[in-house]
Amino acid sequence: MKHAPSPVPLVAPRLTRRCGANQLTLVASLAMALCGSSACTAVVQSGPLSSRPAQGNQVFLSTGAAPRPYQTLGFVQATGFGNQVAGVLDVGDAQIDGTIKGALVNAAIKMGGNGVINIEFLDENPQTPAERAGDLADSLKTNSQGKREVKTRWRSVHAKGEVIRFL
Amino acid sequence: MKTSYRSSFFKAAAVAVCLSLSACTIVNTATLPTDPNLHAPFVTTGDIQGPYQSLGLIQVTRKGHLLFGFVDIVGTDIQTGFNETLMPEIRRLNGDGIINVRFHQTQVLPVTQVVQAIFFVIPFLWTEVTITGEVVKLAPGGTVQPVLQQG
Repeated sequence: MKHAPSPVPLVAPRLTRRCGANQLTLVASLAMALCGSSACTAVVQSGPLSSRPAQGNQVFLSTGAAPRPYQTLGFVQATGFGNQVAGVLDVGDAQIDGTIKGALVNAAIKMGGNGVINIEFLDENPQTPAERAGDLADSLKTNSQGKREVKTRWRSVHAKGEVIRFL
Repeated sequence: MKTSYRSSFFKAAAVAVCLSLSACTIVNTATLPTDPNLHAPFVTTGDIQGPYQSLGLIQVTRKGHLLFGFVDIVGTDIQTGFNETLMPEIRRLNGDGIINVRFHQTQVLPVTQVVQAIFFVIPFLWTEVTITGEVVKLAPGGTVQPVLQQG
């Protein structure tokens, strides 16, 4: 018995193509909207450094000069490496606070100093909300083999400064 | 013989064109409000003398793509970085200004922009601007006095 050819196969590819085009337009519009808003902006922030005049006996930390006479002991440069997993989880030491208040301060103490001045820092690859959302979506998506691949990104934060000892 | 001369001439011309396209200077500027009535946060690449309270380090980054090689949709230039992102962040932190500012903007050769305009289907011209600094709050009655460099 021969069945009449169903019209569905003729229509379906057209529908699929249209859906694909619509999805593409939707994704493109969403990307444009995200980029148009603040989604393409990454803001990285740390806790406060030393105020001026300095208070307490903590190691003096500043992006500027020293508030009183000092002796230069040397220079320090530190890089905190880490990974961002699926756009939501930061693993490792790639944070400004950890790199400056941890690595730089420890190095200064080891050198016999009690301050680090003229600190410069840079988060090498800060992730925008759009990039984080993209990584999360990629991690949740299954590939052609039906498996999920969690997307990770290499992260690094550099910091350097001049180690000093107040006179 | 004639063909050889013509070939050499075209080679030399091609080299000259390539060299002229690759030799250029790109300048980017940003202007800051100077009217005191605007009460805009102060911005300096140097230090200040007066007492202040540190509110923390900040890094702002704007990432985008030059559509058709020339259209900067997101605004990845220094001016937009300062006006649209850094200034609001300083105000959000309740700071009076930012000191020891460092900045960097991606600079693209015009020839690369033209190539992107031609091959606009393949996006490769990604640009970004990054600004870093220390947000501070001046002590009561404090003013911004820059530290003078001794030369």
